[in-house]
Amino acid sequence: MNTNLRKLLWLFERRRREGELADELAFHLAEETKERGYDAARRELGNVALIKEDTRAMWGWAWIEQLLQDVRYAARTMRKNPAFTVLATLSLALGIGANTAIYSFMDAVIVRWLPVRDPRSLALLQWHSKSRTEESVVQGVSGHFDDDPKLGRVGGIFPYPAFEELRKSTKVFSALFVYHPSRKLTVMIGGEAEVAGGEYVSGDYFRGLGVTPEAGRLIVAEDDRVGTDVVVLSSGFALRRFGDVARAPGQKIYLNNLPFRVAGVTPPGFYGVDSGSAPEFYLPLHADMSLEPRDGGTLAQGRYLDRQYYWMEMMGRLRPGVTIKEAQGQLAPLFENWVASTAENDAQRSDLPKFLLSEGARGGDRMRRNYEEPLVTLMIMVALILAIACANIANLLLARSTARRREIAVRLSIGARRGRVIRQLLTESVLLASMGGAAGVLVAYWSVPLLRAMLASGTSFVMRAELNWHVLAATGVLTIITGVLFGLAPALQATRVDVMPVLKESRTAEPRVRRLPVSLSQTLIIAQIAISLVLVAAAGLFVRTLSKLQSLDVGFTRDNVLVFKLNAKQAGHRRGELPSFYREIQHRLSAIPGVISVAEADSPLIGDGAWGWAVVPVGKPKPEHAPTGHGSFGGWENTHVLQADSHFFSTMKIPLIAGRGFDERDRVGSTPVAIVNEAWVKANLAGRNPVGDHVVNFGMDDKPVEMEVVGVAKNAMYNRIEENFPATVYLPLDQNLGAPADEMTFLLRTAGDPLKYARSVREIVHDADVRVPVTDLASQEQRIEQHIGDEILFARLSAGFAMLALSIACVGLYGTMSYMVARRTGEIGIRMALGVPRGRVVWMILRQVAILAAVGLAIGLPMAYAASRLVGSLLFGIKPGDPASIVIAVATMLIAVIAAAYAPAYRASRIDPLIALRSE
Amino acid sequence: MNRKLDLLQGTLDLLILRTLLPGPAHGHAIAKHIQRTSEELLQVETGSLYPALHRLEANGWVEANWDVSDKGKRARYYKLTREGRKQLSSERSKWDAFARAMGLILATNERP
Repeated sequence: MNTNLRKLLWLFERRRREGELADELAFHLAEETKERGYDAARRELGNVALIKEDTRAMWGWAWIEQLLQDVRYAARTMRKNPAFTVLATLSLALGIGANTAIYSFMDAVIVRWLPVRDPRSLALLQWHSKSRTEESVVQGVSGHFDDDPKLGRVGGIFPYPAFEELRKSTKVFSALFVYHPSRKLTVMIGGEAEVAGGEYVSGDYFRGLGVTPEAGRLIVAEDDRVGTDVVVLSSGFALRRFGDVARAPGQKIYLNNLPFRVAGVTPPGFYGVDSGSAPEFYLPLHADMSLEPRDGGTLAQGRYLDRQYYWMEMMGRLRPGVTIKEAQGQLAPLFENWVASTAENDAQRSDLPKFLLSEGARGGDRMRRNYEEPLVTLMIMVALILAIACANIANLLLARSTARRREIAVRLSIGARRGRVIRQLLTESVLLASMGGAAGVLVAYWSVPLLRAMLASGTSFVMRAELNWHVLAATGVLTIITGVLFGLAPALQATRVDVMPVLKESRTAEPRVRRLPVSLSQTLIIAQIAISLVLVAAAGLFVRTLSKLQSLDVGFTRDNVLVFKLNAKQAGHRRGELPSFYREIQHRLSAIPGVISVAEADSPLIGDGAWGWAVVPVGKPKPEHAPTGHGSFGGWENTHVLQADSHFFSTMKIPLIAGRGFDERDRVGSTPVAIVNEAWVKANLAGRNPVGDHVVNFGMDDKPVEMEVVGVAKNAMYNRIEENFPATVYLPLDQNLGAPADEMTFLLRTAGDPLKYARSVREIVHDADVRVPVTDLASQEQRIEQHIGDEILFARLSAGFAMLALSIACVGLYGTMSYMVARRTGEIGIRMALGVPRGRVVWMILRQVAILAAVGLAIGLPMAYAASRLVGSLLFGIKPGDPASIVIAVATMLIAVIAAAYAPAYRASRIDPLIALRSE
Repeated sequence: MNRKLDLLQGTLDLLILRTLLPGPAHGHAIAKHIQRTSEELLQVETGSLYPALHRLEANGWVEANWDVSDKGKRARYYKLTREGRKQLSSERSKWDAFARAMGLILATNERP
């Protein structure tokens, strides 16, 4: 045991040791008394208090006692300057609070490990290939890939046969498992239907992750077969639907009208392997054969055999002692040989996916890829705010330390070492920082749930941000660093005094102003102005991005439209009866007073992806790589397809610029027709009027059908909001020219607030069939806001942060200038006595600030410009160096700086020369 | 006549450690032993003894335990630890070297 540790332990039993020491000395006295009598013994013993004090010093508590002394002294000093203390604590609380809040999101998204056994031995399987090659072995996809600047296209999805191939290598993994998210399924429990998403998992999923059930049992390898009826619920879902997780096992539930039996419940903290997802239930992999028999055009059996269809996410647990690198070395040839065997031609062979094994402790990386950049940007912003707050307090401390020069000179002159005085001053600043940090944790405690709620409405990801010990430890460290940071420079400066002249000064006299070109305090102000400019400019860019997004012409009218979806097929209706069921509901909805029109379509316009396949003018070849299916594919010139009924164009107010809309003529059996939009005409016919032309619709399953173009619609957004309108072909719902519309989207144009009609809608659907739940019910405006939710939040946060930075900087400037004016009272008095007009005095002070501001802005401008380029990918519709944003930022800064300095300047001009001179 | 000697700086630790070599003892006994063995030439001040004992304890060279003394009273007994033994031998060789050096210089008649 080492000395310091022993001393630390003694610290905890201090009281006992005190008693022991007293006993020990009493024993000594008693022994001595026996030998020489009490008086002699007492004399020999001497000053007992001193002995105790000296002995105690050996216990090593001197430094703690000094610390306590310093803290007490610091507390006294702080109490004497309540305004300073409150101001400093407040600005630190905001700075540290913002840092803690944003860091808790960083922690949730980027840092935190999966809540499973030994997450460090998990490995995530991925592949990468050159980006954007058209011809590839990756022919069909259900899932996502990302573009990585270094690796090219990175995918975490594999064909099922690849999993079977990799599973053969048992030396590397103790368990290898696959999983993929389910579609939203209709879950019926005890007569109550809702729509929820889950995860299909292979048999080794739970064993591999090392998850123990909260109740019942989890999915095992034997469950994974066609026709299985095993389902495992998340604890949240079980709690919500059964009131108690223990009651869930054994219960019968219906998924898409098929019976399943609950086998067990996962533990409360478990959320699968993607920190952004929240599966409500887990199903054996092959349950999707019955629940999702087709995925777009592919049949379930087909997808399991297809060697070019990428859809399974894969993860493995490494055997003890096997490193990621070794595993990569063993598996890469295995996968790459297999993938080479799936290539069908040379073009595909030229860009084969390369195997990529990475650590899986933090789970899937989709959310990381999505949010890393915005979060890092926000983190930098809040760090800068804290820097401004630190500069502020450093400046106020500097001002105060000038006032405390005498006190410090006295301490130094009576023998305090410089280090001791610096320690005292640093104790003060760290104490101040700790108060700020504690208040900051409160700020974060309130703001994290708020931010989480704001984020939850805008994204499909689940943010698990919270103030855990991890985050609080980081805040603690940050607080201490902060305290030292803003305390050190003033402390060094304050103790670097020539003792004699200071002591000789009279108490009220001005300390001699040092003639340096720029003082530390001025440097700090310049830095604050420069940093604030960067933040204000960044906020300007994000706010302008948002306003561009919000004011963008989407091509349809967004107000007074209610949107919701129904899926009667999943609730048990046969495909043949769907049209009449939906038609009946449409009739009843139209009868609601205040509903102007009701349209049906096979997809909402924004935020739900889009249908798409090749539709080309007769005689033109089918494009080689037209995206086919449902998804969020990019490229405006790729044909997007929407099946809609005859009310669609009038309900969404999409004008037709040529030809006619859909009507009763467009039925099964009549001539197939289509309406195209301007973008499609531009992409396929170079702008020629196509009404009456014939086009070929290749459809989902590549069976060409000839159609007549009967109308041209004005451009409208579909799938997402972006800069270009997508080329779109509208097909009449009744002619069944696209994918079967199992799920129907209803669009209601209403008089007044569309959400007022939500209840009537639910009642009507409930009356029609209890088993069919109303899903995604929202106004069209809400849908769009949800779609750009990240951008809205980001713009609001950055604007808020910029305002915070600006106000902290202004408060600091105000404080420093006030102090400076107070210090120059005598000088200004003399000037005014000599006849300098008041206006000149105001100008004299303002000029000083203006020079500092000019220097600060000159330094900040290039910084702001460089920073705007770094966040370029987060902008929409404006260029990184957007002049308007930067000009506005500069103007804002100037106004704020002058406003902050005006009050002290005005006060300077109100100085009464007589009073000022008398006080000298 | 004052025959008592002042302790040289740093020698008290060595004296205490050496005194504890045969076995544990309490503070008073240590002081008396040093006094007696040095033929009353060295007197350990109580004011230095106890801080020194606690310092040795903090360094881990001695351990302290409450025990009943031979006169039936509870006393704090100090005992040499293994590290204390090591410390004693190193202090002791330092002292021997120092004493030898002093002796050499004091005994010489050579001119510088």
